[in-house]
Amino acid sequence: MEKGGLELEITELRLGLPGTEKVMKKRGFTEMIMTSSGSNSDHQCESGVVSSGGDVEKVNESPAAKSQVVGWPPVCSYRRKNSCKEVSTTKLVGLGYVKVSMDGVPYLRKMDLASSHGYDDLALALDKLFGFHGIGVALKDGDNCEYVTIYEDKDGDWMLAGDVPWGMFIESCKRLRIMKRSDATGFGLQPRGVDE
Amino acid sequence: MNYFPDEVIEHVFNFVTSHKDRNSISLVCKSWFKIERYSRQNVFIGNCYSISPERLLGRFPCFKSLTLKGKPHFADFNLVPHGWGGFVQPWIEALARSRVGLEELRLKRMVVTDESLELLSRSFVNFKSLVLVSCEGFSTDGLASIASNCRYLQDLDLQENEIDDHRGQWLSCFPETSTTLVTLNFACLEGETNLVALERLVARSPNLRSLKLNRAVPLDALARLMVCAPQIVELGVGSYEDEQDSESCLKLQAAIKKCTSLRSLSGFLEAAPHCLSAFNPVCHNLTSLNLSYAAEIHGSHLIWLIEHCKKLQRLWILDSIGDKGLEVVASTCKELQELRVFPTDLHGGGNTAVTEDGLVAISAGCPKLHSILYFCQQMTNAALITVAKNCPNFIRFRLCILEPHKPDHVTSQPLDEGFGAIVQACKNLKRLSVSGLLTDQVFLYIGMFATRLEMLSIAFAGDTDKGMLYVLNGCKKMRKLEIRDSPFGDTALLADVNKYGAMRSLWMSSCEVTLGGCKRLAQKAPWLNVEIINENDNNRMEENGYEGRQKVDKLYLYRTVVGTRVDAPPFVWIL
Repeated sequence: MEKGGLELEITELRLGLPGTEKVMKKRGFTEMIMTSSGSNSDHQCESGVVSSGGDVEKVNESPAAKSQVVGWPPVCSYRRKNSCKEVSTTKLVGLGYVKVSMDGVPYLRKMDLASSHGYDDLALALDKLFGFHGIGVALKDGDNCEYVTIYEDKDGDWMLAGDVPWGMFIESCKRLRIMKRSDATGFGLQPRGVDE
Repeated sequence: MNYFPDEVIEHVFNFVTSHKDRNSISLVCKSWFKIERYSRQNVFIGNCYSISPERLLGRFPCFKSLTLKGKPHFADFNLVPHGWGGFVQPWIEALARSRVGLEELRLKRMVVTDESLELLSRSFVNFKSLVLVSCEGFSTDGLASIASNCRYLQDLDLQENEIDDHRGQWLSCFPETSTTLVTLNFACLEGETNLVALERLVARSPNLRSLKLNRAVPLDALARLMVCAPQIVELGVGSYEDEQDSESCLKLQAAIKKCTSLRSLSGFLEAAPHCLSAFNPVCHNLTSLNLSYAAEIHGSHLIWLIEHCKKLQRLWILDSIGDKGLEVVASTCKELQELRVFPTDLHGGGNTAVTEDGLVAISAGCPKLHSILYFCQQMTNAALITVAKNCPNFIRFRLCILEPHKPDHVTSQPLDEGFGAIVQACKNLKRLSVSGLLTDQVFLYIGMFATRLEMLSIAFAGDTDKGMLYVLNGCKKMRKLEIRDSPFGDTALLADVNKYGAMRSLWMSSCEVTLGGCKRLAQKAPWLNVEIINENDNNRMEENGYEGRQKVDKLYLYRTVVGTRVDAPPFVWIL
């Protein structure tokens, strides 16, 4: 076996796009990505990466393809679920994952914005996240309920959720907060139409 | 010994607690077999399908503690489909029907239902201890049964389980008369907790040593809990990311100062660094620290903390600690025995990851280190050779280079020599995980030198069947062999089927074994269960004329005395 040559090939090509490999005796890593069945884990973080456009560090790499390898790296699913977070919030933008806090609830939740298709969907998802019916109403009918849903955008401003088109919203939303209407008035929300 | 009455022999046997030793004792003679049988208190069953509850009860009628393990290890990484098996219900039903006075049940990777927990709670009057690790299938309703009905409950220890949290009142189900708790671990529950019930429970449990809270217990509640439980030895805290409450932090710090027995800290999901400072008073006593979920704690906060934990024996950390941080660990933690470094970024390409330098520093600085799990981006043979020289005492050595097939990043060579040095130097090595670019050569070394190896995990490694054969022929003590995405096939699988009788199990997925090979194996070894797990084409496998050569996606085989299991789902085909 031409050891030197084979290894260099592996070094060069192991992360190439599927189909560019020579036929290797062992099942190559990228070949496995191609043949990998749909039995992916249904963890949110992996689907989140696939839907992202960001964070490609080398031209030849395909981080989305990497994440499709089931069970690699060998980190147990409990840990995956609890570690699926980014260290800095800037990475969250474009990745779909935002932190959601609700007044009166002592812990943060996370949700994948990309898995919602519009404000209605988001409303339902928020209801489900906190087990609280009525957040959805806050989004649809601004004046009639106890809570408002606000979000922090790319510039660090807090805006009322529901004003801008959905696509614009998920691109700029960094985090969400479900706030008591009574607290919102003094909060310094950006007035509507500030982007115009 | 034969001249002593049975009671005396039994009394001597009571001092022998290890399962292996007790198994050896029972082989000496018939009389010892009988005495040992009736006096065995703790039974350990590493594979729940290797034996049936009826046979267990037939052999050991008087046991008090049962440990059962279900799914294979690779189930942790989603390689075993949902519904595969590992159901505890038949076991609990059988034990409930018998007259065994069960006091402790420890389950790992099993499917547990609320029905099972309810039955368990009602069937054993003296039940004291429930430990569930990586289990699934139950909800907080099942926990409510345990809390309500187990009057003498000491341990409720839930580690990394998938629990359906109904956000109910299970904690309130502990009766006011319940004062016997020693361990309460519900860290894996997602939902809110009844804080009032929790505080009252902790306040009336003077024997409580281990308390691990879930993320929904806020800082001020934690402070109050610590005031009630200054005797605590192990503490798992919740999530305090947005805590602006400095008053609570101060109260917590004051309470923690009184916890002079505190030795172990864990939790810290999404914890803001300033909350960590509340624990400063107890750092110098800590022997175990788990910050492996605390992505927000890094840099100077982390370094400060480590520098003050001079007595640490066990450290679980994220790779954001960096090589520099590991150097601090190496110079501070001279008592360190176990280190786990987990990856922050599961999708590759992190800037703050650790390298081979961190591993070398640890090996040089920590003379008592015997167990390591290390995720990293890169490695070299030279580093591994140095590590082997520095640390010949490894019992567990698990190295995971995040990118499969990655060679020595300096020489571009495979990492055969590095791992070879490890197995040659570490004569007591029992568990090994290999990664990076590896040829058959590394397995030659493993077969030659790793004579005490019991568990080996292989992924994306090797070139030919020879690799697997070296291991099977050389490692006489092998118990669990798990292989994925490696080019080992029927020749290696079938070379000596009797070897599998001395092992607990073999897992091979995405390798080169064929259906024909597996069928031949099943024929040759009827005392094995040979399971083919095939989620996609299970019907096609039978009909296809070329089935003999069709590659098997997942193969799991294990020795058993009770034949084919009856609870296998449709996608599992037992040959």
